[in-house]
Amino acid sequence: MPLEDSGCIDESAREEVLIPDTEPKRVKAYVLENNEWKDTGTGFCIGKLDKEDEGRATSAYLVVTNEDAPREVLLRSKLEGNIEYQRQEETLIVWKDLNGRDIALSFEESLGCDVLCEFIVEVQRHSETNISLVAVKSNDNGVGSVHEIITGPVSLPSVDPEQNEQTLMESLRILNENVAFEFLKNETIEFILKSDYVGLLISHFHKAEAAKLPKDLFLLGSLVKTLILYNQRDVLEKMTEDEYIMGIVGILEYDTEFPDSKTNHRKCLESNSPSIKEVIPIQNEELKNILKKCFRLQFLKDVVLVRFLDDHNISFILDIILDLQTCIIDFIKVDPFLDTLFALYDERPPEDVDAELIEKRKDGIRLLHQCVQMSKNLDAADKETFYRTLVGKDIFKVLDYAFHKETESSLRILATDTIITIIEYDVLLIPNVQRLKPSSKNSDKEAKDENADQQSKPEGSEISLLLILSAILLTDKSPGMREQVSQALHTLLHPDGCLENDIALENNHPGNVDLISDMNYDMHNGSDNINGFSSSSSHVMESFGNFYSQVAPVLFQPLIKDSKDKNKLIDDDNLLIHLVKLVSLVCTEHNRRISREFILENGIVESLSHLIEPTHNLQLRLTAVRCFKNIMCLDDDYYHRHMISKKLYRPIFKLLEENLDKDNLANSCVQDFCKIVLVHCLSTRTEANGKQQEMLRRKSNFTLLSKHIMEEYGEILQRARQIRVFNELIEFNQEQKATEVDGSDDREDISMDNDVNDSAHLTLDDESKVFKRLHSEVTDVESPFGPTTLHTKKIIEKLNTVEPPSAMLGKLMRE
Amino acid sequence: MNVDRIISLLRQAKHISEETVYTLCLRAQELLMNESNVTRVDTPVTICGDIHGQLHDLLTLFDKSGGLEKSRYIFLGDFVDRGFYSLESFLLLLCYKLRYPDRITLIRGNHETRQITKVYGFYDEVMRKYGNSNVWRYCCEVFDYLSLGAIVNGQVFCVHGGLSPDIGTIDEIRSIDRKQEVPHEGAMCDLLWSDPDEVDSWSLSPRGAGFLFGKNEVDQFLARNDVELIARAHQLVMEGYKEMFDGGLVTVWSAPNYCYRCGNIAAVLRIDDNLERQYTIFEAVQPQNGVGNPIIPTKKPQMDYFL
Repeated sequence: MPLEDSGCIDESAREEVLIPDTEPKRVKAYVLENNEWKDTGTGFCIGKLDKEDEGRATSAYLVVTNEDAPREVLLRSKLEGNIEYQRQEETLIVWKDLNGRDIALSFEESLGCDVLCEFIVEVQRHSETNISLVAVKSNDNGVGSVHEIITGPVSLPSVDPEQNEQTLMESLRILNENVAFEFLKNETIEFILKSDYVGLLISHFHKAEAAKLPKDLFLLGSLVKTLILYNQRDVLEKMTEDEYIMGIVGILEYDTEFPDSKTNHRKCLESNSPSIKEVIPIQNEELKNILKKCFRLQFLKDVVLVRFLDDHNISFILDIILDLQTCIIDFIKVDPFLDTLFALYDERPPEDVDAELIEKRKDGIRLLHQCVQMSKNLDAADKETFYRTLVGKDIFKVLDYAFHKETESSLRILATDTIITIIEYDVLLIPNVQRLKPSSKNSDKEAKDENADQQSKPEGSEISLLLILSAILLTDKSPGMREQVSQALHTLLHPDGCLENDIALENNHPGNVDLISDMNYDMHNGSDNINGFSSSSSHVMESFGNFYSQVAPVLFQPLIKDSKDKNKLIDDDNLLIHLVKLVSLVCTEHNRRISREFILENGIVESLSHLIEPTHNLQLRLTAVRCFKNIMCLDDDYYHRHMISKKLYRPIFKLLEENLDKDNLANSCVQDFCKIVLVHCLSTRTEANGKQQEMLRRKSNFTLLSKHIMEEYGEILQRARQIRVFNELIEFNQEQKATEVDGSDDREDISMDNDVNDSAHLTLDDESKVFKRLHSEVTDVESPFGPTTLHTKKIIEKLNTVEPPSAMLGKLMRE
Repeated sequence: MNVDRIISLLRQAKHISEETVYTLCLRAQELLMNESNVTRVDTPVTICGDIHGQLHDLLTLFDKSGGLEKSRYIFLGDFVDRGFYSLESFLLLLCYKLRYPDRITLIRGNHETRQITKVYGFYDEVMRKYGNSNVWRYCCEVFDYLSLGAIVNGQVFCVHGGLSPDIGTIDEIRSIDRKQEVPHEGAMCDLLWSDPDEVDSWSLSPRGAGFLFGKNEVDQFLARNDVELIARAHQLVMEGYKEMFDGGLVTVWSAPNYCYRCGNIAAVLRIDDNLERQYTIFEAVQPQNGVGNPIIPTKKPQMDYFL
């Protein structure tokens, strides 16, 4: 290790430090003679300081005395010069002294070796700075060895206040070398922090810039970048302190990669952040510092160093930022900050609302958005408490203001984004929120009461978040706002987790032939807790009920047939696209019985059918077709027969007719529709052949549908027969027709169903009856817990415990 | 809306207002809806691979290959993510599409999805440039309308990723309703995610989506569809392009010095009227003043950027 002037070692301290003698440790001493290690005897080794002569400095020795004759010195070796001590494995210290003699000490136990190594480290630190200790360990694979510096002389950059090209070049070389070894790196970092090396660089930078020394400037740039690559938090944080940051970004304006140009980070930083915008004045100086650091680190990461950092550096800086952000959010949580902020939005007499307050309120919305954005990266626990705090302190006061009073579209969008972030984290925060709304005075108490019955809340002027969002979706024309609100509604209305089980259960309409099919639907969805039948889910059922009684009629108003204000013609296709997607969501994800009742009673599928007609734009028409596909895939008897009897699929085939010879999205969309029908039909047939006749019942919906399509729209399909899927559908129907003629067996099998449900009896050739039945069923869906519910429950329980479910089906059917 | 003016702004990487992006995206939707899942294109045509937001290299690409005034183009997808100018690159291509609808075909890549762009840079880029995600949402809607493939003179099948076990004939691709987020499995997913490899038959892909397919699958596909070449992108090729399986398949890569650090060169493939293949290779743009510097300092090349 070459000797360099080490700037950090305090010369005066060298004399004063007294290293105590070490405890004697049992050891065998060897010297190398003629290439053989010669055992010089067993004894006790100590490390000790000795004065050679009066008046001279002390020297350090390793001394071994004979264990049998303590006065006999077996070995006495001075720690001096640039001797490199190697610790080999656990118990061996090996070195060559200045006379060229190879010496080895083999300790009885590794503890002894530790003690002497510690002594060598101390001596290196305090007096003989040029000796070194290196640990040598064999590689994991047994080949070769790993050297790790434990202590030794460290080359460090010059701290001479007068720097020049040569000193900077040398410093750059040293910094680059030192980063490779943990020990050297740590020593260098300590040096940088203690010696104010960063300050030194900055002061030279100002000189070099004034004197126009391009080489110095580029070297400084490289030095700072090298320091950044040390990935050391204290160094980085130091760089972002008030007195350094401008100098650092100034230095980084010079980049050897772009020798002919200079960036203007300083100007950018100055103009962008004259100071932090304080909507609510921050008293705490420490917090202010953290905020500034956080901003500056982001500026370094995103702007100054964006082309320079690799993934590892970035994630390192991100970790620091995250840590600072956690501090900030923690602070905001406990400080009166939020109270002050939210108080801006209190109701005030109009004369108290001046321009300044309005401006503050606008900034407050931005501030809140930024806080919530920042919180996105936090730990789940931190996030959770922060959101609860926001909700507890009534963030909805702010959002309410944003939605009802604020007219600037960009701010409304930020407010929506804020609420989306919170509900996407945990949608269940919202029921509490909604409960909070009515009376903010005793809100805290209510918030704690998790089981508070939502129904008990007085109906009145207070409207839920869903209603607010619905109103925005229907009235706000900004496309960005609509996208966001639509996403918020999707998140709120999507029954994640706890709701799934209820959907599964409620599908099983009593006395209905689709009993089995719905249970199968369950199985496919991997529902694992079908028995969670009533108590826990009643709360969920209620909120569903509330949605359909209070929100859905408003939200879906443009799609509801025979609504009172007929005059209000909705021709806003962009809005309708969002609504149709929401219809698709409630049909497929919500409790089937409730959503279906709403959809069918309000004629929404009829409206969807109209939306496929050519008066609307193609995006909307195809969105409506996709919604039909989703509904069709539910394989729900009611929907199927309703759609068929009302001939609601007609516009789909009109659409095909329009695009018959065109190879475009509309054509593909209808092909996909027919493909779904065909695939279901074919799988019915396969399963029927596989002697699982009961499956025929389930899939027969699709067989019916394909027959219907062929009868009504077959002519159109015939004209597009060159398209494979249409041709196959036609062929399937022809074959089906052929089997139906002599297919009395099928009919007998189906009639078995009567043993299970003595109500329904459907056969393929009895369509008119089917449709009549359908209508009567649709009207009496109000009685969900009919006499057969118990039976249903029993079957579900059985299905839930026995695997595989399909094996049980036959037996269950006969019960 | 003056498309030419927007093109000129985009070429300088200038900011485009949110309203303009919205209008652009709506018009692009209307145009793309009338295209088929597998668009028919005539020769001569220039086929281009991944772009990944390297706007300045995209401009070089047009320079080196004649430009839209002189040549027809097919882009095989992955316009966004990774580079610093995803938005400008994608919008520029959209503008060209609006301006010269018959001269440029845009195919969807596996990065043109909501899920992937949220992770690999496009979403963050939009948040940085606009402060909200609206523009990202508008672009994602357009992604859903992009074609899944193209066929040149009935002879060269173009796709971003590769083949799918669910797709025997090109006609079968036509029955996909492509307007959706790319699913995690099935034909549409495979077309965007699969890779060719030295395998005997369909194999699991290490990417977790799509399949690996080998010479057998390629030969079968070519024979069944009476096609002589599959042109695809999706994988970094240091030399810019790579033919496989006796010339039955080619990977074209058009992002030079990928991620500003991979050190690769880029290529485009020109197919002339006689179906002759001609490759043009080009290198990354050197730093220049005034147009935004597209280069970052050298870092060790990292080879794990194949997404």
